[in-house]
Amino acid sequence: MSLLAIVVLSLACFAYIFWPERAPFMQPDKTRVDYLRERKEAIDENLRDLQFEFLAGKYPEADYNQQRRSLEEESSRAVAETDLLTARGMKSRRTTP
Amino acid sequence: MNQHPMPEFGSYSLLLALILSIYNFVAGALALWGATQGGQHATGIAADRWARLGESARRSGIASFFALCCAAFALVWAAFTNDFSVEYIRAHSNIALNPAYKFAALWSGQEGSLLLWAWLLAAYGFIVRVRHRIDVRLCAFASVILAAIQVFFVLLLTEVAPPFSITPGPVAVDGAGLNPLLQYAEMVIHPPMLYLGYVGFAVPFAFALGALMMRYPGEKWIQITRRWTMVTWLFLTCGIFLGAHWAYSVLGWGGYWGWDPVENASLMPWLTGTAFLHSVMMQEKRGMMKSWNVWLIFSTFLLTILGTLLTRSGVVSSVHAFARSPIGAWFYVFIVLAFAVCLFTYFLRCDHLRSENKLNSLVSRESSFLFNNLILLAACFTVLWGTLFPVLSEFVSGSKITIGASFYNRVNIPIGLFLLLLMGVGPLLAWRSTSLRSIRHNFVLPAILMVATALVLMFCGLRPWRDGDVSSFFALTAFTLAAGVISVIAGEFLRGAKVVRTQTGKNLLRSVVLLMRRNTRRYGGYIVHFGIVVLLVGIAGGAFNQSVEQEMSYGDTLSVGPYTLVCQSITEDSTPNYDTDYALLDVYKSGRKITQLTPERRVYAVGTDHEQASTIVALHSTPEADLYTVYEGIDPDNNKTILKVFHNPLLGWIWIGVGIVIVGTLIALAPSLEQFHRHGNTDCHSERSEESPHFLHSEAPPTITESAPDSAIAKPVITAVAPIAEGRPE
Repeated sequence: MSLLAIVVLSLACFAYIFWPERAPFMQPDKTRVDYLRERKEAIDENLRDLQFEFLAGKYPEADYNQQRRSLEEESSRAVAETDLLTARGMKSRRTTP
Repeated sequence: MNQHPMPEFGSYSLLLALILSIYNFVAGALALWGATQGGQHATGIAADRWARLGESARRSGIASFFALCCAAFALVWAAFTNDFSVEYIRAHSNIALNPAYKFAALWSGQEGSLLLWAWLLAAYGFIVRVRHRIDVRLCAFASVILAAIQVFFVLLLTEVAPPFSITPGPVAVDGAGLNPLLQYAEMVIHPPMLYLGYVGFAVPFAFALGALMMRYPGEKWIQITRRWTMVTWLFLTCGIFLGAHWAYSVLGWGGYWGWDPVENASLMPWLTGTAFLHSVMMQEKRGMMKSWNVWLIFSTFLLTILGTLLTRSGVVSSVHAFARSPIGAWFYVFIVLAFAVCLFTYFLRCDHLRSENKLNSLVSRESSFLFNNLILLAACFTVLWGTLFPVLSEFVSGSKITIGASFYNRVNIPIGLFLLLLMGVGPLLAWRSTSLRSIRHNFVLPAILMVATALVLMFCGLRPWRDGDVSSFFALTAFTLAAGVISVIAGEFLRGAKVVRTQTGKNLLRSVVLLMRRNTRRYGGYIVHFGIVVLLVGIAGGAFNQSVEQEMSYGDTLSVGPYTLVCQSITEDSTPNYDTDYALLDVYKSGRKITQLTPERRVYAVGTDHEQASTIVALHSTPEADLYTVYEGIDPDNNKTILKVFHNPLLGWIWIGVGIVIVGTLIALAPSLEQFHRHGNTDCHSERSEESPHFLHSEAPPTITESAPDSAIAKPVITAVAPIAEGRPE
C-alpha cells in the first residue's frame, strides 16, 4: 500500500514538473521608465496625503505650500526623465533598421 | 517494506521533498543565470529554453510543498493511530492523550517541530510560486532563495532529526505522553503561530535578497514585501502573546514574561520586523534608507535562525529549549553561510541602494522613523546581549553568568517609554521638515492632556517621590504619555473624519469608517498604535503588583489588594491521565462574594516509571485587576495547603491591547478603497461615484504656476495628476 502511494506521489510530481507547457508565462524585464512611473505614482500619493492633511487642518498654509512645491518638483523631475528616456527609446527604434 | 507503511511513506515523502527542493534551487538558479547572461541577447529558442527550465524549477517548488504535506500527514496519522513504532510518537504521545494534543504532538518535539518549520516554509513558498505573475523575475529569485532555505531544513529532517525513525526492538504498549505543561489549549495554537511568524520572515528576506541580486529597479519589491512582513509580524505577535498568556496561565509564577532566552529569541525578530515596517515607509515615500531596510530584513531573518539555534542547540538554558543536540552545528554553518551571502551580495550591489533624498531636518516624520528604528534596534541589541551573555561569559571566563530580569527591565523600560513618546510625536510631524508654527499648532492639545493626566494621577495618590519607588515613576510617565498618544490618535481620526463629513455629508461615525477605508494602512496603523498603548498601560500596571503566600485550610481567609479569599475545601481527585488536588476558594470584594476560584495541582503519570507535577492557575480577571491564585503544594509539617495569591492591576489590558493590535493589523492589510478601485474593480464606476467621495481623488493643486514658474517643469505634473483626479485607473 505504501509502495503504491510512493509510486503515485513520485509520478504525479514528475508529471507536474516536466509536463510540457508550450508557453510559460513571461514578462518583460522592468526598466528605469517603469520605475520612474512607479515613483511618480508614489509622489502623487504623497501629494494626495499632503492635500488631505492640509484640509484636515494639520499644517499651516505656508508649510503646506512649501511641501507641495518640493513634491511637485520631485514629480517634475521624474516626469522629465521619463520623457527623456521614452524619447530616446523611440529615436533608437526609429533608427534601428 | 510493509511493516511500517505510514512511517515509510513519510520518510520517502521527505526524501522526495529534498530532491524537489534541490532541483528547484539548482534549476531555478541556472535559469536565472542563463536569462541574465545569455537570455537578454539570445532571443527565441534560447530564451524559451531558460524560461522552461525556470518554469520546471517553480513547479518543483510547488511539488515539494505537496511532498511535505504528505510527510506531515504521515506523522499526524501515526500520532492519531498510536503508532508507537515511530520513536517520535512514542516519546511525545500516549493512548489517553486528548486528540487535540495528539495533533499538537506534531510540534512538541525537535523532529516534529522541524517538520512543521519545513512544511510552513514550503507553504509560504507555494503561495509565492503560485502568485508569481505579480513579478515573474523577482518571484523567481525569491523562489530560488526560499528553495535554498528549504533544502537546509529538509536536509536536517533526513540527516539529523528524522521524525519517522523506528523504535528498535518490540513496539511499546503506550507512549511516554506529552509534557504536561504543553497540555493546555493555547499550546495547540501558540507554536504554529510563532512558527508562522518565524518562518514567514524568510519570504521578505528572499524578496529583499532577490531584489538586491537582480538590481531590481524601484520600490515595488518593498510593497510586495511589506504585506508579507505585516502578515508574518501579525503571526509572530500572536505567537509571542499566546506564549506570554500561556506562561501566565500555566507556569504559576504570577508573571507573563520572564526574559527567558527562548522568549527573547522570539522578541528579537519582532523588534527588527517592527523597525522594518516603519522604515519601509521612508523608502516607499521618499526613496531613502534603502541599505538600512535591506539590512533590517536580513537581520530579522538571521535572528529567526539564531532564535532557532538557541532553542534547539541547548547552548542556553531555558524552560522552552529542546535538549542539547548535534543540530546546533548545522545551524551555526547555516547562519554563517546566510550572513556571508547577505554580506557578499550587499557589497556587490550596494551602489544600487543609494538614497534618492536626504534627511532635510531633524524635526520631521523621517527623523521620527529613524529614531523609532534606532530605539527598536537598541532594545533588540539589549535583548541579544542579555541572551548571549551567559554563553559569552562561559567562553571568556569559563563560568556561566546569567543575566536576570532586572537588567532587561532597567534598559527596556526607558526604551519603551521613549517609543511611546515617539508614537505620539511621529504622526504630528510633517515629511521633510516641520516648522515651529506647525509644532505649536499640533502639540498644544496633547501636551495639555498629558499635564492634566499627570496631575489627576498625582491627585489620586500616584506620587513616586513619596514612595521612593522608580517603578511607580515609570508607571506615572507611561500613563501620562499614553494619554498624550491616545489624544494624538483620536485627533488624527477626528480631523480626517471631519474632512470626509464636509465632503460627503455623512455622519461622523460613517465618516470615520470611510476614512479608514480610504487609507487602511495609515488608520489601521493608528489602531495598532492604540493597541500598543493599551498594552503598555497593562505592562505599567505591573508597578502595583502585590502577592501573598499563605498556608490555608477550611475556613481560613487571605487578603490581597481589595480581595478577601475564604477557603471552602481542599479536594483530591483522579482521572485516567492525571491525579489532582485543588482548593475551593470564595472570593469577596467589599464584603460581597464575587466569584469562586479553584487553583489546582495535577500530577501526570509520565511513562510507567515516573510522575510530573503541573500547576493549574485559577484566575479572576477584570479590566481593573487580575486575581491570580496558585496551589503551591502541601506543607508536610502540618498538612496545610500552601496558596500563593497575586493581585495584578491592569494586567488584562495587555491581552485587550493585543486584540486591538490584531484588529489594527488586519485593517492595515485590507486594500484601501483607492487600491480596490484601481486594481480590483475596473467596471465599478456607478459604485465608485456613490462610495468614493471626491476627497479620494487627487485634490492636487489645480495650478502650480506660482510654485514652479518654469512651465517646462510644471506641465507634466498637471497632466500626470489629472487622470487620478478624474478617477480613472492608469
